Amino acid sequence: MENFEPVIVAFCCHYCAYTAADMAGSQRLAYPANVKIIRVPCSSKVDALHLVKAFEKGADGVYVAGCLEGDCHFKNGNMRAARLVESVQKYLEEIGIERERLEMVMMSAGMGYRFAQVATEMTEKIRKLGPSSIHVALVGRESTLQPAGII
Amino acid sequence: MITAERKPLEELIEYIKPFKRLLLVGCNECVTVCAAGGRKEVGLLASGLHMAMLKSGTNIEIHEHTLERQCDPEYIDELVPMIDSVDAVMSMACGCGVQEIARRFKGKPVFPAVNTKFMGASERQGVWSERCQGCGDCLLGKTGGVCPIARCAKQLMNGPCGGSTGGHCEIGEDVDCAWALIWERLKELGQEDRFVEITPAKDWRPGGGAGPRKIIREDLAE
Amino acid sequence: MQNKQQQQSDKVLVIGGGMGGIRTALDLAEAEKKVILVDKAYAIGGLMTQLDRTFPTNNCDLCTLSPGLSEGSRQEYIELLTMTSVKDVKGKKGNFTVSLETAPRYINLDKCTACGECHKKFPECVRFTPGLDHRAPTCMRYPQATPQAFSIDLAKCTDVEALMKSCPAGAINPDDMGRKREVTCGSIVFSPGGALFDPSYLDYLGYAAQADVVTSLEYERILSASGPTMGQLVRPSNGKKPKRVAWIQCIGSRGLQKGAGKHCSSACCMFALKEAIVTKERFQDDIETTIFYMDMRTMGKDYELYYLRAKNEFGVRFVRSRPHSILRENGAENLTLTYSSEESGANQTEEFDMVVLSTGFRVADDVKELAGKLGLELNAGSFPKTDAFNPVATSVPGIYVAGVIQAPKDIPETMVQASAAACMAGNDLGVVEKVEHEKELLPLETGVVGEEPRVGVFICDCGENIGAVVDAAALAEFAKTLPHVALAELKGHGCSRESMQQIQQAIKDEKLNRVVIGGCSPRTHEVKFQEVIRKAGLNKYLVEIANIRDQATWVHANNPAKATEKAKDLVRMAVGSVVRSQPLADHSLPMNKNVLVVGGGVTGMTTALQLADQGLKVYLAEKSAQLGGVAVKIRKTLEKGDVQAFVKDLVARTEAHANIQVIPRALIVDHSGMPGMFKTGMQTGKQMFYRQIEHGVTILATGAKPNRPAQYLLGESAAVSTQLDLQNFLEEQPEAVKSWDNVVMIQCVGSRTADNPNCSRICCQTAVKNALRIRELNPDARIFVLYRDMRTYGFQEEYYQKARELGVIFTRYSLDNPPRVEATGDMVDVTFTDLILGRTLTVSADHLCLSTGMVADEDSNNELAMIFKLPRTADGYFLEDHVKLRPVDLQVPGFFVAGTAHAPKLISESVAQALAVASRARTMLAKDSINLGARAARVDKNSCAACLICVRSCPFAIPFINADGYSEIDPAKCHGCGMCASACPAKAIQLMQFEDDRILAKLEELFERNFA
Repeated sequence: MENFEPVIVAFCCHYCAYTAADMAGSQRLAYPANVKIIRVPCSSKVDALHLVKAFEKGADGVYVAGCLEGDCHFKNGNMRAARLVESVQKYLEEIGIERERLEMVMMSAGMGYRFAQVATEMTEKIRKLGPSSIHVALVGRESTLQPAGII
Repeated sequence: MITAERKPLEELIEYIKPFKRLLLVGCNECVTVCAAGGRKEVGLLASGLHMAMLKSGTNIEIHEHTLERQCDPEYIDELVPMIDSVDAVMSMACGCGVQEIARRFKGKPVFPAVNTKFMGASERQGVWSERCQGCGDCLLGKTGGVCPIARCAKQLMNGPCGGSTGGHCEIGEDVDCAWALIWERLKELGQEDRFVEITPAKDWRPGGGAGPRKIIREDLAE
Repeated sequence: MQNKQQQQSDKVLVIGGGMGGIRTALDLAEAEKKVILVDKAYAIGGLMTQLDRTFPTNNCDLCTLSPGLSEGSRQEYIELLTMTSVKDVKGKKGNFTVSLETAPRYINLDKCTACGECHKKFPECVRFTPGLDHRAPTCMRYPQATPQAFSIDLAKCTDVEALMKSCPAGAINPDDMGRKREVTCGSIVFSPGGALFDPSYLDYLGYAAQADVVTSLEYERILSASGPTMGQLVRPSNGKKPKRVAWIQCIGSRGLQKGAGKHCSSACCMFALKEAIVTKERFQDDIETTIFYMDMRTMGKDYELYYLRAKNEFGVRFVRSRPHSILRENGAENLTLTYSSEESGANQTEEFDMVVLSTGFRVADDVKELAGKLGLELNAGSFPKTDAFNPVATSVPGIYVAGVIQAPKDIPETMVQASAAACMAGNDLGVVEKVEHEKELLPLETGVVGEEPRVGVFICDCGENIGAVVDAAALAEFAKTLPHVALAELKGHGCSRESMQQIQQAIKDEKLNRVVIGGCSPRTHEVKFQEVIRKAGLNKYLVEIANIRDQATWVHANNPAKATEKAKDLVRMAVGSVVRSQPLADHSLPMNKNVLVVGGGVTGMTTALQLADQGLKVYLAEKSAQLGGVAVKIRKTLEKGDVQAFVKDLVARTEAHANIQVIPRALIVDHSGMPGMFKTGMQTGKQMFYRQIEHGVTILATGAKPNRPAQYLLGESAAVSTQLDLQNFLEEQPEAVKSWDNVVMIQCVGSRTADNPNCSRICCQTAVKNALRIRELNPDARIFVLYRDMRTYGFQEEYYQKARELGVIFTRYSLDNPPRVEATGDMVDVTFTDLILGRTLTVSADHLCLSTGMVADEDSNNELAMIFKLPRTADGYFLEDHVKLRPVDLQVPGFFVAGTAHAPKLISESVAQALAVASRARTMLAKDSINLGARAARVDKNSCAACLICVRSCPFAIPFINADGYSEIDPAKCHGCGMCASACPAKAIQLMQFEDDRILAKLEELFERNFA
């Protein structure tokens, strides 16, 4: 696991966080390439299953990015998403995955800089935590089958 | 509905440790409604178990399937084509479902994934509370529609006890005193006099005191 | 009456197919009014097609513009006449007769496929060259031209026969004689754009003699991927990359040079900043950029932040100076620039590799001539004179101007005026009976359910935006290796007409049933590509966009290897997702055509009147008891327009209008619904009664507040006032003014500071206005204006110069050494450093006036933004959907913003925006139904356990358990958030377009790379 490059999934709501990511783009704000965005109409569309499956497939970090409190286009979807994230964090702990690997963040559409900042901070945090134990297990498993395991 | 709650992952892992292939079965009835064992929970548990096993160095294969109802043998038949390719079955249904599966597939170990809790109602989204203990001799008609068996900590037939304060049970502020509720309800109905009627000691036999119970509908039974 | 109706023409003529002309035509067409759009060039697009990127987003314009262009040529209401000039205009408002002459193109537009064969074989005869001569930007057109056809220059062709044979389509017609015709129209929008100042004859600038001295537009072409150097920044003299580039501002503007216009060209400061930033972005520390300027005029919305970024983040150097000369010593490679800086005053020389002249706008001679034919009165600079309060109305009723021809300006303001002109010109046609038009016939949708997916992947190079960071061709090759991918191709600009047609052809030829575009954001381009595939016979929801530009190349430019890996991931995820996409049907509902205008100031009333005149019912909600807003406190404009009379008239007309219901003392409290069927609740009147209004669009014209920061003794000394107070005082107590000896004005009080970084835009001209008025009242008073940059843009510059001529003393101060004030009795001592004298001076002022500008009404805007779910800028103004191209549309469909709620601006500018939103709103209200899209929750009744979790979790209470015992969700009412889908414990609900299997497929594909 030298030169560990975490893979981080960001579920971004269309109205705020995804727009903020576009804004970061048009302002050319650099952030680590480790973060991959999946667009959802609202952060509340993110299902516990999506979060857990992401880790099962080997994600080192996941975050859900919604609108600022009070700004949700669907009244309170972001707050629901925040509660969901909290409950999935508990489940992750039960499984044996650090809860810090999953986060809820909030930002407005205009906050391109915040998007870049969150992406950077999350990547740094996960880099310090190291690869997720599932990631390690998957690589170990694959590399026994396939010696030229990537990473 | 019958309510349930998932068991701690640790306990479940102990069950499945010896196996390589597991069939995880959900139920689309009560446990779906109380968000303990429906299709979604099956998916979440399968992922969780898979990951937990991976961490301990085992790659367990988990098949997911959710039945319309686990307490009916015909539905359980759906599992027949899958059963041979697994070493064990874990059920997310209530105890009835677990037992039905165990009965149907004799050679397969079957484990419960949930703790079956009670027959309850949903107070609001995400909150369920106990309403019935299946005593087999319903007396709700006398108690204003509030059950002292299921809702009184002491199952008093002539309450309340001295622990009732301000409408709450002494076991906790968040538990209503069933007898306080009964009183309120009877007052509303103008049936205060019922409250002073002495209910004799309850016959617990229909409630299981006389052993496992069975219902036979003769017109239907074959 | 019958007769009169027949005479009234139902068309608008738009002269000039630049950005403004296109916007006007599109607005009118979307409002279902007929338009003739003429342009003398052989393709529309105007000046903007030559720009590489635009400020402040630094986006590539072709990508944002070209969808608009292809939209423009397609609209059934628009007749597009290129290579056509206006020869004569007769008649009057309601019925103009216009003679048009179309020059021969020598190409049959119906036959030409723009295959480029003629251009390949006879490049000299074909007008399609992305000019290689940097001196000739006018012959450069871009490869995404509309109409998509070439044009032949027959004079240059020696072998016509051979040229004709070269065309596989047989489209070349040497006998083309052109065409003359007369058309009638009810109104005319004149938007021919501006010409750029030609500095050739100014020998001290060296432009004619030195290849390395270029104009800003030429520099733009050099930076452009489709430019003469294919985007390589090189010195024209020797082809080497420059190390030191200088920009010189105000060339041909502010009356500085012989032949220069007296006006400020308004856009050049931002233009130079953008070029410097783009240059820095590309070469970082490898290149030095220096801007020589007089006043940095970044008065647009958030433009000051852009300026600060140039300075602080990109390290662009700024020198306040007007350089004396640009020379090249004999034999020397570099240019020597001589200037005196503000600090030293002595002459200095500095060497540069390239010098960019920021040339300003002027009116071209042929445009001036045409303006004469239209009968327009012109000002001294040959720009048409316009109404004091309506900048698009000319001296001739029925003829409107928009864009640079009205006054020099940038693109957002041009877009505003273009929409405003569309509003006025459209209203002149009267209420046109709705005609049922034949809808464009779409091919039947190909059945794809059950078919094996065949995915076509199209990777956009997007000019430098993608191709410069990742190897787009290799990415396309990679895509070919993915499962189900039948075809993967590289496209220059996927959004160009040409590429779109190729994609459609590929869908047919290769029998593709799914499409992935690797390009920019689905936020901006999804709809476009949905249309593209729909026209090729696919259901529009079978396309997915991988945003490899905004999410990879733009943000990981510093690491091309990782950007490439990520782009691959994104493409693979999109392919994985699109193979699981299914055809979906859109839902629709009837449109509510009522309008809610929030704010009863000049802007709100103007919009309300325009829409009401078109027969729409308007609710005008004003939070105070009276209409009028801040304008009731203003007496005169800089040009001496009578604001009081103007506002009075507006109020009277608004209150009297049968279609307008004014709701005073209205406090908006709740809001729900969707575009076309909103419900807004408000408490009204003294008793705060609650009432609810149903409406189709919402227009925010809530204004801004005059700022009153507690600085410089404001509120403490009677001798200190704001400019707003002063202008009233000047009218109310002119006698008192006559006794004043010294007046000091301080600019930028509470603006352009750390806590309020933006410029308030209006204060420089206000200071000039009040200074001139004081001069009139008291010619002996000494007036000092302490400023940081005088931002008297456009024609305001002339008033600024007049003030200087009349002896008003303008002295610059810097933020680190602001003026100091001290109260001494009734007077105020103002101490400041005069940079030219190099001394500290103290003026004992009878009056100190502070230019405090405006601030957003934080409380009210915050409340409204929460209720309406609208984004705002950091300084509290409402944030438009696209700062460049959609300046009055808000991000939430059905919402528009105008006036100072958008950003500080003048009354006339607010009026222009008010007219513009009326036009934009009408484009929506013209439709009878609202398309709700297909994003709605769908219940699988067989899996539903009727648990009620969806019913309880829906924020809009849409799901219910139906008589059959399962959950039912009305797709027309569903808002499409997906909350129920994620909450459902039986996984019985799927949100269309965002189905679980598509989300999981993305995860699956993403991790495939890492663990396969």
